[in-house]
Amino acid sequence: MASQADAHAATFSAAELEFLAEDELIEIVPNMRMDPLNLICGDFGPFRPQIATQVPVWLAVALKRRGKCTIRPPDWMSVEKLTQVLEAERDAEKFQPLPFHYVEISRLLFDHARDDIPDIYMVRSLIEDIKDVRFHKIGTGLEIISRERTYALRLKNLSAMEANIVRPFVTRALQTFYKLNSPDMIQESDSVSNRQPQTANRGPRRQLKDR
Amino acid sequence: METGAQDGSSGYSTMDDYESLISTTDAELLKRAWQNEKAAPQILRFEAALIQRSREQIKLMEETVGEFTRNGIDPLTVSLYQMDLDRTVFLLRSYLRTRLQKIEKYVFHIQKTAELWNRLSRQEKRFAERCIEDMEKHLDQSVLSKLPSSYKSHLKQSSSSEEDDMVPEPRLDTYVICRSKRFLGAFQLDDRQFPVNIEADDLYALPYKSIKPLVETGQIDLV
Amino acid sequence: MANYYDIDDVLAEEEILPVVFQQAADCFGLLDSSDDTNEVEAGAKAELPFWLARDLHVRGVVAVDVPPYFRKVSRTRKEIEADAAHVDLRGRCQYFYELGLKIAPLVGDKTIGPFLLVAFQTRYKEVLVRAHTAASAVAPKHLTLLTNEEAKLYEAGQLSTAAFKKWRMGGPRLQRAPVLGRKRKPIE
Repeated sequence: MASQADAHAATFSAAELEFLAEDELIEIVPNMRMDPLNLICGDFGPFRPQIATQVPVWLAVALKRRGKCTIRPPDWMSVEKLTQVLEAERDAEKFQPLPFHYVEISRLLFDHARDDIPDIYMVRSLIEDIKDVRFHKIGTGLEIISRERTYALRLKNLSAMEANIVRPFVTRALQTFYKLNSPDMIQESDSVSNRQPQTANRGPRRQLKDR
Repeated sequence: METGAQDGSSGYSTMDDYESLISTTDAELLKRAWQNEKAAPQILRFEAALIQRSREQIKLMEETVGEFTRNGIDPLTVSLYQMDLDRTVFLLRSYLRTRLQKIEKYVFHIQKTAELWNRLSRQEKRFAERCIEDMEKHLDQSVLSKLPSSYKSHLKQSSSSEEDDMVPEPRLDTYVICRSKRFLGAFQLDDRQFPVNIEADDLYALPYKSIKPLVETGQIDLV
Repeated sequence: MANYYDIDDVLAEEEILPVVFQQAADCFGLLDSSDDTNEVEAGAKAELPFWLARDLHVRGVVAVDVPPYFRKVSRTRKEIEADAAHVDLRGRCQYFYELGLKIAPLVGDKTIGPFLLVAFQTRYKEVLVRAHTAASAVAPKHLTLLTNEEAKLYEAGQLSTAAFKKWRMGGPRLQRAPVLGRKRKPIE
């Protein structure tokens, strides 16, 4: 049914989303001196010891791995903020607003900047919980597709990774719903019964394989 | 080529577009072009000017990195410039490769559809022509030359076919996930649907064909 | 025709349909091995693959009858109404939805569409839950009940969930292609 869309299903790999997330800006505090960098993706720096500056995540991680800076975790990554989000996420049917790349960024920082995240175990488990609650909600949300005749689906506040995970399933299912709901299938159509005698006289023209 | 897709834009102004254009870096634009190309079922217009600029930037940066190395600039700085360069090269390569894959897959369809053929770059056209030659030769040698005369076409099932009924095409009713940077207002999905309100920065899953004009005019991005 | 090489489309058209000959026809004896004449009388019943039945139907040679599982009064319909998720649709027809989509406009039966929709709506939920939660503990029994389209849907959900889990476990990220370190050759 949607077989030609197969190759299309895995549009972006998780690694490619991580790549995109690495362009998000984050604050670092350098411990060295370095001239401004005039990169293709933008100008950053100058870098002075103890003076905070904004850089893309990939740059922050590169400096961090060489021991040249500390990374300041974004505001939303605090125990306080995450606790609020988790509670709201549990209470409300809606998805709470979180950064579009929160899944990727949190993993990058857990992997490369553990010592810069206060209460890392707590933060980590909060993010896990938030993600689990949200995934559960995605599941319930998608059940709605089957109850209502949905052709367009709004994925409000869904993050990049969350959308990417459900993409193959959702796009395929929506396409099937769309076809099954087509006027040809659902509405009574007189043209169908009228068509027969006409085509019957069309003689030798014949499709070897038709749609 | 298809019907039912309406341009549902309201509040769209070329001025906004101009402003966002000058404030957006080429790196950003290349990323967007790459995402759109990867997510669209159909080949999009080749971003000739952007690709040209990106190539020049890459070349320039390669020279800079080479110069830094020769002049003994500190290795950390050099490696950061190199990383930035690698990221841009990755985007450019993946963009071009995604297009080549689409061309290979739908080459006969692209060849006979002027609108699509004109979306290819000069090099891509050359690639497509060679693809076509190879495919024709292969099909002919392995199968078609051995069939009766009315079945020798690689486009038509038989000589009585009224149209090219053996040409694979991308499915434009494939659903895609998209996001608009600005509020687009009520958008008519197709004639059997209530309009959908497209809000700024929200994700929507919609059939590609319904938003095709918005993708092609850069009003909506595929993610 | 956009999907000429689509193997699922080809296979869906192989599904067998009951037909009734509307006129006597020569050269159809092959279809009935018990009969050594080469003729078929009007009113004779036969079973033909969809692709052939459609063509003869359009020419008025045969009238296509819908397979039992699409009939208005059938066990399949009753079962779908009662407990759609656990009906063995694969056993009835692997290409249940695809064939239904092809056959409904052909015979002008407007009850098939809503029936397919109800079946898919109910079964979709089951597939959804299993595809995104069951992880590796695949429920093989459930899979054997799914039609081709449902199984593909399940697989799509499974694969992307597995890919995400793999990414999250870590390991070498964005693998650097060996050529990347090298100096790039000039473009032209």
